[in-house]
Amino acid sequence: MKVYKISKLTKVYATRTVLDIPLLEITKGRIYALLGHNGAGKTTLLNILGFLDPPTTGNIYYCRQPIQFTEFCLQPLRKSVVMVEQHPILFTTTVHKNLEFGLKVRQMPKKERDRIIKESLALVGMQHLAQAPAHRLSGGETQRVAIARALAVNPEVLLCDEPTSSVDVENQIAIINILRQVNDQKKITIIFTTHDRYQVDSLAHHTLLLNHGKLFDAADGKFFMKKAG
Amino acid sequence: MDLLVDSFFSALLLVASFDPEIVSIVAVSLKVSGTSTVLASLMGIPLGFFIAFESFAGKRMVITCLNTLLALPTVVIGLFVYAFISRRGILGPLDLLYTQKAMIIGQTILILPIVATFTIAAISRIDERYSKTAMTLGANRRQTAFVILREARFGIVAAVIAAFGRVIAEVGISMMLGGNARGFTRTMTTAMALEYDKGQFALAVALGIILLGLSFTINLMFHFFQGKTRI
Repeated sequence: MKVYKISKLTKVYATRTVLDIPLLEITKGRIYALLGHNGAGKTTLLNILGFLDPPTTGNIYYCRQPIQFTEFCLQPLRKSVVMVEQHPILFTTTVHKNLEFGLKVRQMPKKERDRIIKESLALVGMQHLAQAPAHRLSGGETQRVAIARALAVNPEVLLCDEPTSSVDVENQIAIINILRQVNDQKKITIIFTTHDRYQVDSLAHHTLLLNHGKLFDAADGKFFMKKAG
Repeated sequence: MDLLVDSFFSALLLVASFDPEIVSIVAVSLKVSGTSTVLASLMGIPLGFFIAFESFAGKRMVITCLNTLLALPTVVIGLFVYAFISRRGILGPLDLLYTQKAMIIGQTILILPIVATFTIAAISRIDERYSKTAMTLGANRRQTAFVILREARFGIVAAVIAAFGRVIAEVGISMMLGGNARGFTRTMTTAMALEYDKGQFALAVALGIILLGLSFTINLMFHFFQGKTRI
């Protein structure tokens, strides 16, 4: 099943076209790596896939439903697609309350919230920091807690913008293992951006290449325009 | 130097003796300034938040106007409110002149721009990743706004502290609209001005020390509401 189907998508800032994607399909339960140099449009594409930023033109279908980029339509969709930023920010409160936020938004009962928070923190190995002030954590810990916060709300799609770019090797391995584990066990579709080809090989089922806003399929090196045509 | 030492001991004696007149003056000051701070906060925080959070035409001009109002002299506000509530004014029949209500109206006008502009500054410096994070976690517009408000609480409480400090120490509006009536509209600052006119410097300074002590206590309470932040 296709989670996303995107056609004739463009994103233009002032006069600069940062994304021009004729066709892109994302299959449910797979891991996609999005490769590209700085400024290639990776984060812009993730923002659009996360329903945080509208495209300039084009059609997006999410689970076969056409998407209207109005706040009224997007807000419910964001409950199933969560994005973890390259430099995630944690709310100025405890780690526990950070994870609780998304669950409270979904009006989950307290008992259920506590159970999910415990499980999510255990998944990323951060259960001992539940009551720690979130803004005092190290970069690696922050990244792992941000992933736990995203996973706590049980999304269908997890978007990660360079999840290992600002952490040490130990945390990089831990984060890759977490992403692989949640994909295996919960069948969460994962789309992550990276510059690391080794990470792509070890984690991704599919690799997409972005170059100056144009998308290529790394498997056959073909430009997506040709596929669409 | 003797004046300050005498005043300090006079202040201690006044506080220790719970002089009924002093208690009444402090009570009126706290009631009037507290009410005007609450009213200005109830209007100024949402106003500042709206201006900072929303995009609309003329936004910069509105901010410039609010910044200009920070320089509004108390005498001008006093005259402005007087024009409305004096017998010949359109609110004359309400008989507000020389009442605590008149002082509250004037003081609220004085600090509304302070609360609003400080709130705008506090909200504007909040990293936009907070709202993006709240949105991606499924928050609606109201919940996202609450996240920003929560992250900006230190700055917003600072706005309220600054506003309270401004009104508890102002004398122009209280004198013009309150009239310094003993037991009704006499505040610490108008009492200080009166004692100064009478040549009772020690009592005037003593009242000033009480005012600072009260202000310090109230700021300690505000500090509790600011909560634990990155500072």
